[in-house]
Amino acid sequence: MADAIALPQARPAQPALQLLRVVPGVLLLAAVGYAGKLLERNVGTYAKAHHWTFPNIEYVLWAILIGLAISNTVGVPQIFRSGVATYEFWLKAGIVLLGSRFLLGDVLKLGGVSLALVAIEIAVAIAFMTLLGRAFGLRPKLTSLLAVGSAVCGVSAIIATQGAIEADDEDSSFAIAAILALGALSLFTFPLIGHALHLSDHAYGLWAGLAVDNTAEATAAGALYSDAAGKLAVLAKTTRNAMIGFVVLAYAIYWASRGQAKTVGNKAAFLWQKFPKFVLGFLLISILATYHFFTKEQTTALANLSRWAFLLTFAGVGLRTNFREMRKQGLRPFAVGAIGEVVIAVFTLALVAGAGKLFGF
Amino acid sequence: MSTNAVSLNSRKTWLLSLDSWAVVAALLAALLIRAGVFTRVPW
Repeated sequence: MADAIALPQARPAQPALQLLRVVPGVLLLAAVGYAGKLLERNVGTYAKAHHWTFPNIEYVLWAILIGLAISNTVGVPQIFRSGVATYEFWLKAGIVLLGSRFLLGDVLKLGGVSLALVAIEIAVAIAFMTLLGRAFGLRPKLTSLLAVGSAVCGVSAIIATQGAIEADDEDSSFAIAAILALGALSLFTFPLIGHALHLSDHAYGLWAGLAVDNTAEATAAGALYSDAAGKLAVLAKTTRNAMIGFVVLAYAIYWASRGQAKTVGNKAAFLWQKFPKFVLGFLLISILATYHFFTKEQTTALANLSRWAFLLTFAGVGLRTNFREMRKQGLRPFAVGAIGEVVIAVFTLALVAGAGKLFGF
Repeated sequence: MSTNAVSLNSRKTWLLSLDSWAVVAALLAALLIRAGVFTRVPW
């Protein structure tokens, strides 16, 4: 599980027992998320009633801020940690359900544009991060992990690559910490830049999906801008996630050719194993929605269910981000990640601006 | 960090990957809504 909190080594346990173990943490996610929703509704009204000038803060940001406050002050007690780690489950279930808000034609059209941009972004990001890692004298496998993390999909890609190229746990921890720290920063910087540049929902969503590394942070960064931008960010990020198998396979072959990783036998099986299955779920729900399998009311219910799942995810993003833990990982991987992320963000912004002119968004 | 060990253990215990369980749960929820078990999900 992708997490900045050091998770305890779980001993194999009965599924029922494991299910019970996640209950407190899931309840904490729900409580933090719901508190964010209540704050969104009530703070604005209260400020208005008292003639205060107060910005309209969305539930997404409230949920993340409350989570951050808990994680970085009192910390997340052990009893809640397994449940908090389920935020990734809610994220993926939420993305599958979000498929109901996309008609297949839109997915193919927007996904096609995203796919072309994703291919360019991945190639440039990997090349740049590799050069940067070498320039900073990072260990080669740590450089590979940072490159995959920034190019494809953050923590999941790092974990998938770590196994395939037989990188050290330490390298993986460095890369994960850097990607998560930068993801947390992007939550606050991306919406500000988007508003400053007056980006349309379409352009911003595409940019967030292309440039923010971790899926949870990309979803949150999109939703912080607008509902429409959130949808687009998820679509662009999902397209990026779909590429994970190919990139990991390429790295596995590269490191195996240098005699520093196992040779990949069945490449098709390898690709299937690494392929994010929630992408297929998203497409299936989108196809069903396109062919009117669901009524209008049912589609609204599915979209709302997706929002609830994302609410738990946003709470989890805050709760699992512990800046003290990240600081322990050292400055150099973070510096390489930060420089790389800034360059990738600027490059993808230019890419989106170019595509916007070409496709008119 | 013990991230990998945890995910491997989890996978053995839970039969499917987290990804696949998320898809199963979402599809099940969609089917229950389609079947009319849940008619409205408030937001």
